[in-house]
Amino acid sequence: MRIVILGSSVYSETACAMAVRLAQMEQVPVGALALSTLNRGTLLRKLRQWGAREVANYARAKLMPQRRDQAPKLHNIYLQPLLNPKGDLFRSLREVAGLYSFPVAICDDQNSPNAIAQLRKWSPDLIIFTGGNILRQTVLAVPRLGVLNVHLGLLPEIRGMNSPEWSLLKNVPVGITVHYIDAGIDTGPILQRYEFPDTVARESLSDLRNRLIAFGVEKVGDVVAALDHGSISPIPQSDLNEDRQFFVMHEWLRARAAERLARSRKPSLAGTLNE
Amino acid sequence: MPNQISKALTEGTGLLRGPQRVLPLIQKLVSDRLHTIFDQRNLYSYTTTRRPSEEVLNSLLLWILDAQRPDGGIAAYYSLLTGYSESYPEVTGYIVTTLYDFARATGDDRTMVAADRAGRWLRSLQMPSGAFPGGLHGVEAQPSVFNTGQILQGLVRAYLETESVESRTAAIAAGDWLLSIQQSDGSWSGPEAYQAAPHTYYSMVSWALAGLSESISDHRYGLAAEKNLDWVLSHFQPSGWVDGINLRGHPTYMHFIAYVLQGVLECAILRRRDDAVQAVAKSAWVLLRKFETNKFLAGAYEADFRHGHRFTCLTGNAQMSCVWLRLYDVTGDLRYLNAALKINEMLKQFIPARGSRGIAGGVSGSYPVWGRYQPLRYISWGCKFFADALLLEQRLTRSFEPSRLEALPCAS
Repeated sequence: MRIVILGSSVYSETACAMAVRLAQMEQVPVGALALSTLNRGTLLRKLRQWGAREVANYARAKLMPQRRDQAPKLHNIYLQPLLNPKGDLFRSLREVAGLYSFPVAICDDQNSPNAIAQLRKWSPDLIIFTGGNILRQTVLAVPRLGVLNVHLGLLPEIRGMNSPEWSLLKNVPVGITVHYIDAGIDTGPILQRYEFPDTVARESLSDLRNRLIAFGVEKVGDVVAALDHGSISPIPQSDLNEDRQFFVMHEWLRARAAERLARSRKPSLAGTLNE
Repeated sequence: MPNQISKALTEGTGLLRGPQRVLPLIQKLVSDRLHTIFDQRNLYSYTTTRRPSEEVLNSLLLWILDAQRPDGGIAAYYSLLTGYSESYPEVTGYIVTTLYDFARATGDDRTMVAADRAGRWLRSLQMPSGAFPGGLHGVEAQPSVFNTGQILQGLVRAYLETESVESRTAAIAAGDWLLSIQQSDGSWSGPEAYQAAPHTYYSMVSWALAGLSESISDHRYGLAAEKNLDWVLSHFQPSGWVDGINLRGHPTYMHFIAYVLQGVLECAILRRRDDAVQAVAKSAWVLLRKFETNKFLAGAYEADFRHGHRFTCLTGNAQMSCVWLRLYDVTGDLRYLNAALKINEMLKQFIPARGSRGIAGGVSGSYPVWGRYQPLRYISWGCKFFADALLLEQRLTRSFEPSRLEALPCAS
């Protein structure tokens, strides 16, 4: 199967881990398209969004580790088994691509004509989205099968942002959904839903989120294999008329979700899924 | 027209009469210009608390106390050009409820005293018919349906707080007058209505009548409130838009859209009308999605919420916060609470922490301050609605019970 990965930047740990996971299944991507990290537009947008201090922190976290004399650190430690297979940490898509021999292209906007031309050139059966822009129909129409996304919540119950936190507050099981992207927000056909095993410890909301991301990367591999064998087919979502979209959560509610997580915390039986 | 010319002249020459206002005016214009350039419009806007709600709430109430005139009425606004206005009976009426709420929540006697003074002044303005005059004090002496309804809110609350016979009598007289001129379809029109036309935002009057009915156990006022409620509900469109706001010569400001929703919702809660709650929830959800997507609500909209104007009406935002908080209160849908917490964070950022009297703690009519709704003014009803929103936020977050979340309904 011809697979392309879309990433929010070449330093995206999720995009790197996804590429490694596919390569380990002998499904080496035919290409990866990442958003440019340091173009003027992105920089201005990030300055407006995050403020100067956060942008400086981001730059320090992402760019400084490139120095060989510093011990590299992972933001999401649960991706370590994929990103650190032989003791030498993958720090960018370029490094993963170097080992597994696939091209990496950079763009300013994943919906731009240049990006679409590049995607068409790779002629993918499947695009796996790990981050970037809200995709327009012109991009969604490129792959033969569709653009696949891992949503960090169970669809159709919890659509939109902060899904793990909303799941906790609404008492919906925490989990992930692998689905195709369509024009709506998390409304595309579902390929597979996975509840996150409640025997696995979750130390905090960010810890839970990181575990879910790693869980998602692992499960996407299973879905790709099933798609390759033709043993899975997408199921359109029900209740599309009901507005089940959730929005970015205010910190006060996040604190309540964290309290609920703390109350529901169980002794770690299985450790991480990747162990 | 001569009235408008005289108003424009007064505003225009305000700085000549008060040159000390030049510097604050320039500061505000520059500050809003810079703010609009570097405005944060992203998914993560307003999700963190930068100013504690208690601090802002206190500053809002201080602004209102400062705006109380020697006669006991509250000024309508502090203009950056002309300073404080005359007392405004309508706003004084419904600010009374906020003053009592604040006193109850904080034990601050000053606001209780201010409410009592305001109540006495209001009763002195009542006409023999039971009506109250429209406009600023001393400017207009025509009876006004809307202003009478808004003042009725304060009279009912004053009666409930103090059990004063005077407040009860005044409230009943106002209620009787409203019933006497209500049209057979439930609306109010004629010379006592603004621009002599019926308006759906008079749902605020129904709310006041429903409150009177509840407080003195007289169903006549409740039935009249429901009659108007039915008339207003007939103007709700499938898009969530509400027709019949009917302001000739003005765009449909967010303030008036929110008035309709708030009046219908509160009246519906008092009268246990689930159909009306559902109608408000539908409109409020449309606005919630707009706020979550755009990070602000437009200062005015065209029909069906199209073509939002570029400025923001801060008062309308505060009123929508109240509506979302009350919808959370009655439905348990946390998305309303989430949106209200975020819009309150946004509004807190617009409240000046420093400045002279009339500016510090004030809510400007528009953001930027030169926007079309009450330009270059800090308005007392903006402070009132934002204080209401913060008091509601305080009550609902303090009583937040995780166990209640077990059986949460979805909003839709």
